[in-house]
Amino acid sequence: MRLPPFQYLLPGTVKEALDMLHAHKGKLCIAAGGTDVVNRLRQRLLTPSYVMSLKDLPELQGIKKRKNELLISAGTSLREIAEDPDVCALFGAVALSAGLVAAPPVRNIATLGGNILQETRCLFYDQSELVRKAALPCLKQGGKVCLAQKGATRCLSVYQGDLAPALIAFDAKAVLKKAGASRTVPVLALFSGKGKQPFTVEDDELLTRVAIPMPKGRYGASYEKLRMRKGLDYPFACAAAFVSLSAKGVIDRARLVVGAVGPAPVLVEEASAHLVGRTPADADCEAAAACAVKSAHAIDNLALPAAYRRKMVKVIARRAINGALSGAGA
Amino acid sequence: MAKIEKIRVTLRVNGEEYPLFIAPYLTLFEALREELHLTGAKESCGRGACGSCTVLLDGRPVRSCLLLAAEAEGREVTTIEGLGRQGALHPIQEAFVSHHAIQCGFCTPGMILTAKALLDRNPDPTEEEIRAALSGNICRCTGYKKIVEAVKAASAKTAPSGAIKTAPGSGE
Amino acid sequence: MSIIGKSAGRVDTAAKATGEALFSADLTLPRMLVGKVLRSPHAHARILHVDTSRAERLPGVRAVVTGTDSTQEKWGVFRYTQDQAFLPSDKVRFIGEEVAAVAAIDEETALEALDLIRIEYEELPAVFSVEEAMRPGAPLIHDTNPGNINVNVKIDVGDVEKGFIESYYVTEGTFSAPEDSYFQAEPYAVVASFDSSGNLDIWMPNAGPHLKSKPLSNCLRMPLNKVRVRKITIGGAFGGRSEISPADVVCALLARKAGLPVKIVYTREENTVATRQAHSMIATIKTGVDREGHVIARDITCHMDGGAYSSTGPIAVSVPFLCMEQAYRMENVRYNGYRVFTNKPIRGMYRTHGRAFACGVDLQLDMIARELGIDPVEIRLRNARRQGDYTPTKSLVVSCAMTETIERAADAARWKEKWGKLPPFHGIGIGCNSVQTGFPMGIRGGSSAFIKFNEDGGATVISGVVDNGQGNENMIVQIASEELGIMPEDIQLITADTEVTPSDPGSYSMCETFVGGNAVRLAAKDAKGKLFKFAARALEAKPEDLEARGRKIFVKGEPERSIPFARAIRLALSKGESISGEGSYWPKVDPRREWVENPFGQLSETFSFGTTIIEVQVDPETGLVDVVEAWAAQDVGRAINPKVVEGQFEGGLTMGGQGGMLTEYHLWDGGRCLNPDQLDYRLPLAPDMPKINSIIVESHDPAGPYGAKEAGMSIAMSAAQAYVSAVCNAIGAPINEYPLTPDKILEAIENKNRKG
Repeated sequence: MRLPPFQYLLPGTVKEALDMLHAHKGKLCIAAGGTDVVNRLRQRLLTPSYVMSLKDLPELQGIKKRKNELLISAGTSLREIAEDPDVCALFGAVALSAGLVAAPPVRNIATLGGNILQETRCLFYDQSELVRKAALPCLKQGGKVCLAQKGATRCLSVYQGDLAPALIAFDAKAVLKKAGASRTVPVLALFSGKGKQPFTVEDDELLTRVAIPMPKGRYGASYEKLRMRKGLDYPFACAAAFVSLSAKGVIDRARLVVGAVGPAPVLVEEASAHLVGRTPADADCEAAAACAVKSAHAIDNLALPAAYRRKMVKVIARRAINGALSGAGA
Repeated sequence: MAKIEKIRVTLRVNGEEYPLFIAPYLTLFEALREELHLTGAKESCGRGACGSCTVLLDGRPVRSCLLLAAEAEGREVTTIEGLGRQGALHPIQEAFVSHHAIQCGFCTPGMILTAKALLDRNPDPTEEEIRAALSGNICRCTGYKKIVEAVKAASAKTAPSGAIKTAPGSGE
Repeated sequence: MSIIGKSAGRVDTAAKATGEALFSADLTLPRMLVGKVLRSPHAHARILHVDTSRAERLPGVRAVVTGTDSTQEKWGVFRYTQDQAFLPSDKVRFIGEEVAAVAAIDEETALEALDLIRIEYEELPAVFSVEEAMRPGAPLIHDTNPGNINVNVKIDVGDVEKGFIESYYVTEGTFSAPEDSYFQAEPYAVVASFDSSGNLDIWMPNAGPHLKSKPLSNCLRMPLNKVRVRKITIGGAFGGRSEISPADVVCALLARKAGLPVKIVYTREENTVATRQAHSMIATIKTGVDREGHVIARDITCHMDGGAYSSTGPIAVSVPFLCMEQAYRMENVRYNGYRVFTNKPIRGMYRTHGRAFACGVDLQLDMIARELGIDPVEIRLRNARRQGDYTPTKSLVVSCAMTETIERAADAARWKEKWGKLPPFHGIGIGCNSVQTGFPMGIRGGSSAFIKFNEDGGATVISGVVDNGQGNENMIVQIASEELGIMPEDIQLITADTEVTPSDPGSYSMCETFVGGNAVRLAAKDAKGKLFKFAARALEAKPEDLEARGRKIFVKGEPERSIPFARAIRLALSKGESISGEGSYWPKVDPRREWVENPFGQLSETFSFGTTIIEVQVDPETGLVDVVEAWAAQDVGRAINPKVVEGQFEGGLTMGGQGGMLTEYHLWDGGRCLNPDQLDYRLPLAPDMPKINSIIVESHDPAGPYGAKEAGMSIAMSAAQAYVSAVCNAIGAPINEYPLTPDKILEAIENKNRKG
């Protein structure tokens, strides 16, 4: 199926890109790797007047190691992230999450920025016009009803990105630029928690890079993903965990993030209480994982039933915590 | 709605340059098939899931249905037509034929190109690495067994033994 | 044998490896237009008014067609199931049904034109399940079918009630599965072109061009010899491409109206929703056995959701029952099969049709075995079909190695070491099934072939046999090569083209080798017989003492007394005789047998039998399944090409077992299919697959060409049963709803734990 007609913009510098974003605000889509956007264009879920390429912007490519942080530019391919020696050595969970996205040919062109800012998903929304035209427009399409859950007044489409939970576990920061301004926010803050408009990024802002702070001392992190097949699929449950140990071997910092539970990844704050202050051997992983269950707002909008997906949140959270603890102990 | 103006895009495909004048919203897949009449890349899903549209971009497999033609400008595109011809098959094509790794043939061009990209970087892959590399290419006919055997056999032909493997987990 | 039984490379695969092989969507003809179809957004609605005027006026549009352009004659596979008009003008019956179509100079214009067609509908209440459709007062989808019952097949053999009374143990259960789908790699596409003499050339992926040309000639009111369904490379069929499709008619109508060739390429969604899907099904099965586990009585009621039109309804209702009655012996059996209309896409015969039915039968055998203290392999051995048997509906089973398939699979799988001895959540299971080699197909049930020769010793084989990817073209070359005694590279094939090739039933109902291959073999024998008369004279021998092999004709036992094949041909030509061969094969079925009216008598001339064993590990926390290994043993009669046969086993197991029982199912919102493409309809991937061990068993069927029957279908089906058997064994609990998605497996584990 032909894509809907649009004009193609090819900025030569980041400044030009930001000016274009501003000039065509609201009518422009960015195609980085295009693996999410082009699908939505083909389905006519998006019909922008302009599609802007980032391919001639070398400033948006590459991974740089600094003393206290690792900088990954937003246009870096997922394959590069998965294979990068520094990412693998220092932030293995991020490398792992990147390596689990879709399939190798997708990872060759999909980018960090595109993966973080992918649209939320729902069986009732992610359809071509052939299927959508046979029903009323749903909340996410700008309509008045939720097709997945009768009577629902807010959209609970699911955020299924793999990178974000791992990045949030490491408390990574995102740099957003627009013409004449720049701001840095935690990756967690990129998410609005609302299915209809899942991101707090403005129409004329460009995500340029992510900075992952170097943890202090011994630490471990893990990303766990559950999917139906051994490839290709988005997660139906996923979690990332990070722990760091003090010099005495006591957990001094712990972060548990669950994904695929609702419109945004969730930092499970209460989980830390069952981990911090204990040694890895004494950590109450079961209780920590149980805290994640409250964040599971799954409804029947994906291929597997919500009740099952809610059960899996605890399982995957526990696996992620265990993985992080072994990583720290190792 | 105003008609969108065409743009000039030069594609380098199978070693040759092709100056094109196309709609900006044309995908690489459409440009290859419609403008260059290279019909080896196929559409089976229209969603970037099946891998039938796979071509190599600077030697790496990509979904040509998810790339705008304009995005491929300045890069090397390799299609199945650039690999070999009957009477002069590439060793991987030869292996697919002799190992009965082809039934209906619709997924075959994409599968072969993905296998080539794997062997170019990992000349002696394990079965697990082959399956991981091909995890984005869907075949409905073969169950993959003979495809994996063909790639293994081709690896013996295209590389010296004792080759260095790439980092595990990259799935290439 | 020179080439029969050898894994020779296929004749068609090099062109596929290079991308040179052309599929329908790859064709371009000069001035060809792009066709697009407008589809109903309503599941059930009357068509009140169609206004195409704005679309017709759009610059670049060359033709628009609607119901008024078609004959409105209703088509059906059977005379008594004629219910579908191509481009309906009265009402639409499912979301996605074709209502109009346009042909334009490019895709953008065609899409824009579709948006300009105005159709006024009056929505009608719709039904989306068998229960809803059969409820009293439910809206009728076809006025001719009260209760929305499309087909009811009733079979009653022996005395089932008495059988249950006499049984030592009786078990009953209900098994269900939602729709699955073919997902042939190639989405449907049609190219239609009329030449200057009004002949229609049409290309589309098909499982039998001759099955397409007659309905097309009816719909287009053209004589059959002017409708030419042409040879094309085909990307899979799996049972879903035998019937005329609305796209075929629509494309031809557009081409005729525009006076230019038209190509319609379906999106994947259109292929899923507007060609065929597989049936969803609920089967209630009651089985009674004696103390040794021999089945004495079985009673099955099955309801299938057929969607909006009949398609191959009578066949679909019957086949799951027939496969079971062929595979297993039983004296008393009763069957009530229903196909019910709903306002959903049309369901057709699928390679692994009837998963709920088949898995229910075998799961019950496992449960009965457990109750009686015997193992699942043993209970199958006790009930296995044997050569010389008659099935309950009176088909004679002439060749059968079912027992051997069970024994060899169990042996290879080291069943005795594993059964009952595997660690927790590690299981092994078995499934057995049988498949017909050829359905009764009336005047289209037979195949004919011609062979002509060139003076340099080459031959051209002309056959209606079609190849959907399974290797049928190669099968013909191997057979002709063996029989004629020349090399495969000496043989040119002309196949699957209704202008040139004689009629053939198509690659439907597993009959191409048995019927089409036999016809080619007979044609080769005919040609060879004629040639031997000339060779005999030259060699001063009797024709019956001659043999052909390696491009030579020679006296048996005296290979030096020979002449080259080419010389024999030139000899004949020099005597004014042009040698050609002709052969026809019609399978010996009972012509009085009818699916509904008279389901008794010889169903097909022969049957294949297969056993699959699967070993799995289940993650008890998530319910996800790791398939450890698979063993597939099938009685194929004779493997004409062992690697090709293995490919059918491997692909069939992947579709019927791995996909069919673990991940493949459709999700619905009323009449809207929510997973019509490969992102959310999960087909098995390379890393999902276990090690597959293929075991070819040969019973040497007396009628099959070189003893061959069919390859792979009994594996495709028994694999489904084996997957269920293995998973239920791993978790120690039965599951009656399929496929075995992780949530169902987890629920079964939790239920079992609750029961303590």
